[in-house]
Amino acid sequence: MKKKFLGSLVAASVLTTGAMAHFQMLYTPESALEKPTTIELRHVFNHPFADEHTMDVAGIESFVVISKEQQKSLMDTLKPIEFKGNTNSGKGYASTYQARRMGDHVFVVTPTPYFEKNEDAYIQQITKMMVNVAGAPTDWDATLGLKAEIVPLTKPYAIWAGGTFTGIVMSEGKPVPFAEIEVEYLNHDVDLKTNSMGKAHVEAPQDSFVTMGIKANKDGEFTFGIPKAGWWGFVALGVGPDTEYKGKELSQDALIWVQAKEMK
Amino acid sequence: MKKVIVASLLAASSLLAHSALMSCFDNGDGTVTCEGGFSDGSSASGTNFFVRQGGNVLITGRMDQHSEFTFKKPEGAFEAVFDAGEGHQVVIQGKDIAQ
Repeated sequence: MKKKFLGSLVAASVLTTGAMAHFQMLYTPESALEKPTTIELRHVFNHPFADEHTMDVAGIESFVVISKEQQKSLMDTLKPIEFKGNTNSGKGYASTYQARRMGDHVFVVTPTPYFEKNEDAYIQQITKMMVNVAGAPTDWDATLGLKAEIVPLTKPYAIWAGGTFTGIVMSEGKPVPFAEIEVEYLNHDVDLKTNSMGKAHVEAPQDSFVTMGIKANKDGEFTFGIPKAGWWGFVALGVGPDTEYKGKELSQDALIWVQAKEMK
Repeated sequence: MKKVIVASLLAASSLLAHSALMSCFDNGDGTVTCEGGFSDGSSASGTNFFVRQGGNVLITGRMDQHSEFTFKKPEGAFEAVFDAGEGHQVVIQGKDIAQ
């Protein structure tokens, strides 16, 4: 009886968060680069599948790139932009990066916590995204020891549509058993010239397909089958050690973006 | 004895399974840097590298401890070649090397 009650409590909390599936986008068009390339990046806080609301990015606490185990701050590359979603506009950032060295370039952005009025709580999504130059693997599988982090066991830039992505949810470098994870497909093209979202590619048959709720196993590990080419976001909710910000509840989340390619 | 054979078989199969990789960029100061590597992440330090123009080899050497080789950019068309043995050669055309 007690178990059942707990179960429904968990379900209720999943439903609540599911309805508010925010994703920190760290977007670039191409993650598998053939040769050294200067890439465009966009930092936007929205709902990548439904795009029903674009939030303001409250600010950026840190933005770094790790390549061949060397970390470099990219804070001085950030330029404020207004990003147009299909419903409204929100404050975001644009930046460019010269991906010159062969290998992996792992970006990590830590936004300033965002106040979500509907939940009377703050959300901070520590977000990882990576690009690779010329196919040599260097840093993609590193555990960076972030407060909240998804460590990939699959190269996030080398996934065929129909393949899978496996990751481990970590909190300060330690696996988080049974972590709650939300998965969304970036269901719109991003126009880098106009800083806007295009029309939706696919329609969800029901709300559970908009933000898909999955869970990690006892070792904090999860696998997700990727049905379609494009960007997919995975966010593990509230796994970071910080639970309070400015006297209110804080959900410190771990987010990773992966990009699947059509087999053609 | 048997053990030794198994070990050498394994080494051979891993050599075949990975592919040789190279990426080059123009440093903007009249030099070009080429980085070599393998798809399994292993180092290319000590691997042969050369630059050729037509049928002539202009520059030859080995990848350094960072799996890199920097050379003076030749005038005209050239090719940078990462030579990790038969079936493991990567060729990049000079015209495809940008800053």
